[in-house]
Amino acid sequence: MNLQVNLGKLTLSNPIILASGTAGYGREIAPYLDLNRLGALTLKGLSLNPWMGNPPPRIHETYAGIMNSIGLENKGFDQFVGEDLPFLEKFKTKIIANIWGKTIEEYSDIAQKMNELERIDAIEVNVSCPNLEQGGKSFSSNSHVLCRLIQVLRQKVQKPLIVKLGPNTDDLNQVLLFMEKEGVDILSMTNTFPSLAVDVENQRFIFSKKTAGLSGPAIKPLALQLVYDVIERTRLPIIGMGGIMKAEDALEYLLIGARAVALGSVNLINPSAAMEILDGIEAYLIQKNILDINELIGKVR
Amino acid sequence: MKKAKIVKKRFLGTSFVELWLEESDIAHLASPGQFVMVASGTSYDPFLKRPFGILSCQENQFGLLFEIVGRGTQILSQLEIGDQVDLLGPLGNGFSVNPNEAILIGGGRGLVPLCFLAQIFTIKKIPFQFFFGVKNRQEMVLIDYLSELSFPMIVSCQEKVNGFYCGTVLDAFIDWFYQFPSKTPKKIYTCGPQGMFQALSRIEGIQPNQIEVSLESRMGCGYGVCLSCAVKKKDAPGYFHVCKDGPVFQLGEIEL
Repeated sequence: MNLQVNLGKLTLSNPIILASGTAGYGREIAPYLDLNRLGALTLKGLSLNPWMGNPPPRIHETYAGIMNSIGLENKGFDQFVGEDLPFLEKFKTKIIANIWGKTIEEYSDIAQKMNELERIDAIEVNVSCPNLEQGGKSFSSNSHVLCRLIQVLRQKVQKPLIVKLGPNTDDLNQVLLFMEKEGVDILSMTNTFPSLAVDVENQRFIFSKKTAGLSGPAIKPLALQLVYDVIERTRLPIIGMGGIMKAEDALEYLLIGARAVALGSVNLINPSAAMEILDGIEAYLIQKNILDINELIGKVR
Repeated sequence: MKKAKIVKKRFLGTSFVELWLEESDIAHLASPGQFVMVASGTSYDPFLKRPFGILSCQENQFGLLFEIVGRGTQILSQLEIGDQVDLLGPLGNGFSVNPNEAILIGGGRGLVPLCFLAQIFTIKKIPFQFFFGVKNRQEMVLIDYLSELSFPMIVSCQEKVNGFYCGTVLDAFIDWFYQFPSKTPKKIYTCGPQGMFQALSRIEGIQPNQIEVSLESRMGCGYGVCLSCAVKKKDAPGYFHVCKDGPVFQLGEIEL
């Protein structure tokens, strides 16, 4: 049975990826699964310098989902290289570094440093974070800024470049065309959905930043629709994600045309979920007498 | 992920539940102050597992004692003997367990990790004094629970109840401390409401670094990937994460 999938220049042994921010830097989740069985592991988002993130509360449970406002807390590039990279050297699974910055220059600097690390197989760019040069609005809320960012990053990154788009991207068609022209390799879609919760007892917002990101099974049909729509509009290979809990959810994304899928919130409640989902996909292929997973991809359009 | 069968269950009053679960890894590996993440159902709603401190371990079983405070604990309280739960653990860093002697100070449901610690001290013949306080008559069931275990206890209740010291657990501790200042051991272990920690850190003659505190926190994953359970570092920028860096900290290293 063939589970191997190609996303442009990036080849994965199977289509199961762990999404950024839900698996740490590999070490944290390693006791619960076989990292080598993953298609790829995406690292928790890194910035050039350490970033402390938001004050608590940082998480709030909703119906079949969670809202988070972690605020991109991370240890910064140097500490990652010192503490975590040596551990990752021991595995053969593909490693995707997720990067972000508060300015285009910061993105550019971390992208360049990450590009020099041999162990890193691809670089995923989070473009949903606040842009300090635009009053804290998301980079993806202005297509001109986003295109400039992508252009700068493409010049710095020789490894496969993945752009992770949130649910609300300004002038998406324009951005998709630009990404194809600039040679972005892969799109990952989607990020958490902007969402709000109110503390009724104390009559204030739950989160200090008001808006938080919603994820989990609550968003799956919404995310699936977004992925379906974007596949219609671009030739770029897509990593689909949003609310995948079991093999059937992953298969939905593959059937509508995602080349790979990423698991996020499910890792928080079941750190072994990726193995179970992979087993479930294999069982499905056997049951349907399918020898190559690529036969499934895009079958339902 | 582990599965454990509920082998014993009893209500303490109307809002506390003691559950015993069969899972030999956890029962053999857990140390006082560590916790488990327990799924409160098999559906995705509620979505997250809930963190619970470990009450005690016996052979292949371990105990939990929790207060019904929301949907997750409500659902868990309705499970019956024979039911299975999904869980992760033991997680986090527990208390240091080799002091020469110790003071334990617990409030309300904060008794859980201290109860486990007191059992270990008893086995190791480490002398200790256990101060435990509750808010009101309803919570007196926790005092009854601890009384069965025959630890050296001084108990208190904030509501006036005949025959009990009336005041907070810290009032009771301070009375004792000023009466026998020379008896105060170097090591103090505490778990309870945040206000209690703050008041404890203000007592003259006690250093924050002689106090080990077990924190409660809302958590996403319990194993260090989601970074939800942030607690501010004292005298340094940034946050600790209760699940991975704790849940036991020195009182002097965290900002409450």
